[in-house]
Amino acid sequence: MSGCSIRALWILSPQDTVVFSRRFPVVEKRWLVACERERAAAEDLEHSRQTSLPSDPELASAFAERKRREGSARGFGIRVAQSSSGSDSWIDDPITRHIISLHIHREAEDEFLLWPLVLHVKGSYCILVLPLVEPQQFQAYERKCQRPGCGDSVGEEDSLSSLLLSLPCITGAFMVAHTVGDIIAGDTVEPEVIVGSTPSVGGLLDSLTGSIGISGISARAKPVSAPVVASTASGASSVGAVISDIPKSTTRPIDKDALRTFISSAMPFGTPLDLNFSNISAIKANGFSASDMPPADLKQPAWKPYLFKGKQRVLFTVYETIYAAMYDRDEIPDVITISGQVNCRAELEGLPDVSLPLTRLSSAHVDVLSFHPCVQVSEQGLDKQSMMFSPPLGNFTLMRYQAFSGLDPPVKGFYQLSMVSEDEGAFLFKLRLMEGYKAPLSMEFCTVAMPFPRRRVASFDGNPSTGTVSMTEHSVEWKIIATGRGITGKSVEATFSGTIRFLPRTGQRIPSMSRSVTGSVVEEDSDIEQESTNNIVNIDEYLMEKMNKDLQAVDLEEPFCWQAYNYAKVSFKIVGGVLSGMSIDPKSVSIYPSVKAPVEFSMQALSGDYILWNTLGTCPFAVSPEIKR
Amino acid sequence: MEKQSSTKHPPPPQLLSAQDWELLTDDFSSGAAARRARWLTLPVLDLALAALHRRDLPFSLKPLILIMLEESSSLLFPSLSTLPPLLDSLRAFLLSPDPPPSLKDQFMTSATVILIVTLPSPLDPSAAAPLESLIGILLAVVHRPNHGPDRQSRAVAAECLRELELAFPLLLSAAAGHLWSLAQSERTHASQSYTLLLASTLLHIIHSPLLTSPHPLLSTSLPLLPFNVPQCVFSSVDDDREPTEGNLREIRRVLAFSLDRTPALTPCAAAEMVSALLGIVGALELRVPAVTALLKVRFSGLVYSYDPVLVHVVLTLYARFSDAFTGEDESAIARRLVLLSKDAQMPLVFRLLAVHWLLGSSLLVDERVSLSELALCFYPLVFDPLALKAKKLDALACIASREEVLNAGGEWKGHEGQGARPLVVKLFEDGLVCVSAFKWLPPWSSETSVAFRAFHEFLIGVAPSAISDSTIFGFLKGMLVKLALEHPRMVPVIAAFVDRLLACDVHHQVGEWLLQTMDEQLLPNLKLGYQLVSYFPIFERIAESDSIPPRRLLELLTRHMAYLTEKHGPDTGLRSWSQGSKVLGICRMMLMHHHSSRVFLGLSRLLGFTCQFFPDLEVRDNARILLRMLVCIPGKKLRNILSFGEQLPGVSPSTHSSSFFQVPSPRHSQDLKKVSGVTSYIHLERMIPLLVKQSWSLALPSLGSATNESSYSEGIRDIVVPASAESNKEYEVGVEKISLPSEPLRVMDSKVAEIVGILRKHFASIPDYRHMPGIKIMIPCTLSFEAEPFGRAWGIDLSALGSDGVEGLPALYATTLTFSSTSKYGSIPPCRIPFLLGQPSKAGLDIIPIGSGSEEDSNFRASVIIELEPREPMPGLIDVAIKANVENGQIISGSLQCISVGLEDMFLKARPPPDITEDGIPVYYLDLFHALWDACGSSSNTGRETFPLSGGKGAAAISGTRSVKLLEDTSDSLINAVEKHLAPFVVSVIGDPLVNAVKTNGILRDVVFIEEGSSEFTIDDANALVPYSDEQPLQLQYIQDEHDSTIPPDTTNKKSMGMFLVLIFLPPRFHLLLQMEIGNVSTLVRIRTDHWPCLAYVDEFLESLFST
Repeated sequence: MSGCSIRALWILSPQDTVVFSRRFPVVEKRWLVACERERAAAEDLEHSRQTSLPSDPELASAFAERKRREGSARGFGIRVAQSSSGSDSWIDDPITRHIISLHIHREAEDEFLLWPLVLHVKGSYCILVLPLVEPQQFQAYERKCQRPGCGDSVGEEDSLSSLLLSLPCITGAFMVAHTVGDIIAGDTVEPEVIVGSTPSVGGLLDSLTGSIGISGISARAKPVSAPVVASTASGASSVGAVISDIPKSTTRPIDKDALRTFISSAMPFGTPLDLNFSNISAIKANGFSASDMPPADLKQPAWKPYLFKGKQRVLFTVYETIYAAMYDRDEIPDVITISGQVNCRAELEGLPDVSLPLTRLSSAHVDVLSFHPCVQVSEQGLDKQSMMFSPPLGNFTLMRYQAFSGLDPPVKGFYQLSMVSEDEGAFLFKLRLMEGYKAPLSMEFCTVAMPFPRRRVASFDGNPSTGTVSMTEHSVEWKIIATGRGITGKSVEATFSGTIRFLPRTGQRIPSMSRSVTGSVVEEDSDIEQESTNNIVNIDEYLMEKMNKDLQAVDLEEPFCWQAYNYAKVSFKIVGGVLSGMSIDPKSVSIYPSVKAPVEFSMQALSGDYILWNTLGTCPFAVSPEIKR
Repeated sequence: MEKQSSTKHPPPPQLLSAQDWELLTDDFSSGAAARRARWLTLPVLDLALAALHRRDLPFSLKPLILIMLEESSSLLFPSLSTLPPLLDSLRAFLLSPDPPPSLKDQFMTSATVILIVTLPSPLDPSAAAPLESLIGILLAVVHRPNHGPDRQSRAVAAECLRELELAFPLLLSAAAGHLWSLAQSERTHASQSYTLLLASTLLHIIHSPLLTSPHPLLSTSLPLLPFNVPQCVFSSVDDDREPTEGNLREIRRVLAFSLDRTPALTPCAAAEMVSALLGIVGALELRVPAVTALLKVRFSGLVYSYDPVLVHVVLTLYARFSDAFTGEDESAIARRLVLLSKDAQMPLVFRLLAVHWLLGSSLLVDERVSLSELALCFYPLVFDPLALKAKKLDALACIASREEVLNAGGEWKGHEGQGARPLVVKLFEDGLVCVSAFKWLPPWSSETSVAFRAFHEFLIGVAPSAISDSTIFGFLKGMLVKLALEHPRMVPVIAAFVDRLLACDVHHQVGEWLLQTMDEQLLPNLKLGYQLVSYFPIFERIAESDSIPPRRLLELLTRHMAYLTEKHGPDTGLRSWSQGSKVLGICRMMLMHHHSSRVFLGLSRLLGFTCQFFPDLEVRDNARILLRMLVCIPGKKLRNILSFGEQLPGVSPSTHSSSFFQVPSPRHSQDLKKVSGVTSYIHLERMIPLLVKQSWSLALPSLGSATNESSYSEGIRDIVVPASAESNKEYEVGVEKISLPSEPLRVMDSKVAEIVGILRKHFASIPDYRHMPGIKIMIPCTLSFEAEPFGRAWGIDLSALGSDGVEGLPALYATTLTFSSTSKYGSIPPCRIPFLLGQPSKAGLDIIPIGSGSEEDSNFRASVIIELEPREPMPGLIDVAIKANVENGQIISGSLQCISVGLEDMFLKARPPPDITEDGIPVYYLDLFHALWDACGSSSNTGRETFPLSGGKGAAAISGTRSVKLLEDTSDSLINAVEKHLAPFVVSVIGDPLVNAVKTNGILRDVVFIEEGSSEFTIDDANALVPYSDEQPLQLQYIQDEHDSTIPPDTTNKKSMGMFLVLIFLPPRFHLLLQMEIGNVSTLVRIRTDHWPCLAYVDEFLESLFST
């Protein structure tokens, strides 16, 4: 079985009640038939019980029970002291935070296991999708959960890995879960494409309304933020509340009708056929009229139900997100990585092919390239790749890449923070912005934030050489370049030294339950505590020791425990170019059959996690083989 | 919604409003039987079908009703007869102009679902009618290719047909030709559904006998409508005939068409298509050359897509047709999967899945692509989520394990610096850097979990049999030891790590090895101090493990106890108690998990030290109890007892343990086994049976040196060499320090001077046994033997000796008894008995001459006095060997039953110095008692004083210990017992009632009687020990400052009758002082001694004393 079919899906609220559920009886029947067959083959009535789907309350209580047992909605993921045989964390693999099992207790029946449930947390909702697997695969997992001993070692026969490899339905179920998540969160916007300096061009519906002229749909709010922007926004906010499992957004009621319609069209019988929300909602809203003629000689692809009509043009935008860990230390090299994507909007009539060479890939330090399904890579080379695609309607991400920076980091320098006493610290920034960057690259804004999520800032002292400083309860923010005063073609040197005072720490002890997020239950011994404080000479170390005592464990989705470190986070936006050197030459874009369509190209780079680690403190780092090489 | 109570009665059918329908659908969709049940009184199905046509209901409601019908179809469509109305309704609905197309589509879908669920599977002919009806409707919709407006409906109808085909294979096989032409002609986006339908149909055909039939598969000669269910649906006949050439050609055409259409499919549809194509190509593989290569060419490019579904499609293809892929393709796939895991724009779960896919494909990573080449790509990056870091570390572990296998037997080059690190270690160390913060983050941090999980993965990646020699294990051992040394807070985590290994059947041994390493490398490097308690979790594991000799740990713990004792001060009371208790917990664990013989030496020493010197009373008490258990309970029983105690909270088994002491000694049973022939008829018996029935011996280790001369317990030192602590071996140091607190100066007041004077006088009268004959004790015994069995054993014909009387009895001549003992009793002189007559068997004698009893005794029993010169006042056993001549000239030799020596045998009266007059002796004894009592107290001022012994060469120091014992017995029986057994040792009786009672009995004489109120003793004494009153339970206040009690002393003996003061001299130079506060119902005995090991026996002695 290589396809993907779904037996049921549920959406649970933060209060662990089912707010939406959908069962697919056809797939369920397949499951029951398969179980029956398995049972007949095994001639063992005990072995494979025929279990029907749980009702909503049963599922909700099983989910709540798991949450209680496994510490959080996602669970431990790693085998910890509390893990019991038969639970997901017994498997000891982080993927069990995403692919979970539930023990369903049903009145007057034995408990039974439900697996694999694909868990996707979106906003405050938990989406659970149950794909159809073979009974043997189910039993393999069940055995694995119960297995005594150490658990799998990697690469072993019948490991969890090989089970997952044989289950494309899980992959499909995740795609469903993510799409459903986007729908309930209202994140169904298409990727952003910039035209010149004007704001973003809308998506598929806009091009439809432009060409078809139905005013009803254009009333829909224009996409305000594209995923690229959204991801950085969440990155920025994660500084303050990195560990909160609780999403920041208020619980917005889910649009059940939209969801139901989507499911009915995308997977009428439980087997997903098309997960493109834009297309599905366009078909639902517009339908087809007699004037929508199919192309005479070509077949329309399933992912392009409508053809474009109107003024033709092709737009490309390269977006890059810069991740940097700046250490300013001899022993640790700085790490800068770039996640980039090329978004495209091809307003072309008919079903043309667009071909496009990608050149200078190695000088652009491009590491990973992956493409939209419509793309065919005709020539693969280290430095040059040619690709051809038949563009779908609306905005789409043509390709994604990972790269290393070809330029110097746009913000260089160091951040030092030294605690003078428990509640007072002296800090110093010395930064150079856009050094070596020539026009037309320009930095639109640049802000440096010093977050102190666990301290309350009482006051700070000191003036920066440029820019303005503001203070919030848990951070100090330094606007080096304010929006609207962007710099182009010159570099800026900025220093900022001063002192910062915090309100005294109140004895906030973490409740012991939350400590066990990842579950190592450590018995505290007052004997040890008393002793350790006496041994530390250095005040920084002493403070660190003291502060670290009430650090909570972070979720495994975080890269490290942010709160354990002092750092400054830089946010900026660079337009007019990108750091990697990825570029598309509009002249080399060719369209077949040939039409006269202007090709526009724009670029911008945004900061992701751009972190200046406190040079005087501890910092997380990793050995990067690329740099050693 | 849920608030709508289920008790509300549903409204009458005709009035079912939009709200009611919403409620109904919600109740049904929850799947909860209880919520559905209340609607089932209504004809829900009829109502629902009617509602679909009702114009007053909003359109938005109707999909809800349809989905409700779908999801509850098994409930609402119990039989086939319910289907025709549904299909009629569908037909009418599709023809109606009102409903929007999407609603019509939904109805088609729902009707299909209901049929699939309701019809039996596999299909039987009786169920064909509704199916034919539905398919007729659907085919009518499908059969209009390229019609503009209803293209979506056609797509839906094609999907419905496909689901029917999937549910009932071969259902559409007869229509395949039509489907093929429809698929070819459809040009709108709906063509995807047509293509999928065609592929699914073909898939079933290709595995059916149809392939071999002479009829062309894709014929369109029959009209599409009306539709009849083909017969092949009902029969499942296998057919091995070769497919016809024409059919194969047809199929190849369809296959080519389907492959050609794949770029036009959505990713999900592509996955469906591949799933069908896998079946088709699989069947054709052998007959059509290069068909798999075709598949590969078409799909392998999808691996470059960022859609995970498509990547998985390629992997599925590869798993099925790996032969079609070249090495280049394979390394491209592997590389692509690695890069996928690095793609920061991917949702985390897909990055994790990518690593799983790579590791899960044993074909890919084992045989085709060297995983090591990809190692660098698996290095975790600093911003990788921890879950991904963990997974990448898994991958590195996997690479390392392969490396380990490849370089099996490779040299471990750990000491040659970084450059020479083996690859395995390099991977491990480099990988671990990303979570290295675990060393200073709190132990519950996620980084810690990830790091230790990585340790585990690296370790178990190696085959269990190879672990011990593996590089990684060698490295990991060292690293964990270092980690524990540098970061004590990590210890619980390390312990948990070991636990996990121990809990695994396969890796249990690895856990043991790790503990052994800890024992060998960690323990010697630990610094003494309060922070040692951090390491207790590991100590506990070591204590539990019976594969590790407990010696090292015991030494360390002994030193720790010494440290605690030494550092004890006003602020550390609680800490001493806590850590002391924990140490005892570990001791208890050792007792449970080791054979007593193994731990005996170290443990008895540790416990002995603790119960003597440890500042906390509760700990001392517990130590004493453990010591007694160690000494006198056989191992197996002991473990049972202790594990029973495990159910009690805390470590202290103190409160309930007294009942456990009724267990007989192991010695007895052992001795019974050793009984040789001789012992069955020759008996050497004590004249005065021991009070304490069992015989056990605390064989204190000769502390430190092989020669006993400087042993602690001996306590006599040469005067010339004061404070010989330095000369003792290493692990005695702790003990010596305590017994000899190094006070340079001491102040002596007149009272102390007086005490010292008395003591000097007393000690001067004690012989130093090293240089002169020591004090001896005598154990009177009798030797006898039974005539009859003796005769039988030695072949002496009793009748030959004589017919009656003494003449007829055998005799032993020139008997020599030699004694030896493992206890320190000095050399025991042998005994010689020239002549001994055998005892006539009583059963054999009918008449016993009156008055001959005493005479008989002297003839048949020889009295033997065993003379001991104890070096230590210890109970023990004396082995007896006999040698004698029998009348017939034979020589008997053998060993007899051992003679137990009890503590009470050691009880002697102190020797008064010669210059004391007879009358002065009682007073002398009382003074001596007071002096010794004081000297053995903790606040003693005489601690540094040494007292020369008689002979002038040796001197003794007093280091006292105190204890307390509560005896719950009436005063009468106590007084009787004292008078019977302790009378010679009583030096004073205090208190009116007691004095009166004793004087009446008249047994105690020559003692000092002190009337009530004149005793200052009780007051002094109450300060030093736990006060007791029989109105409240005995409470141990562990933080009580022992020097400074605030409890008024007179509360302690309100109800007491008075006190006995008992002074017992224990050879060679020790003392046991008892102060018995006799109460009406119970007696508190305060005990002081300068020979602490005897306390273990005193307890027992007192119990036996008063229970007899």
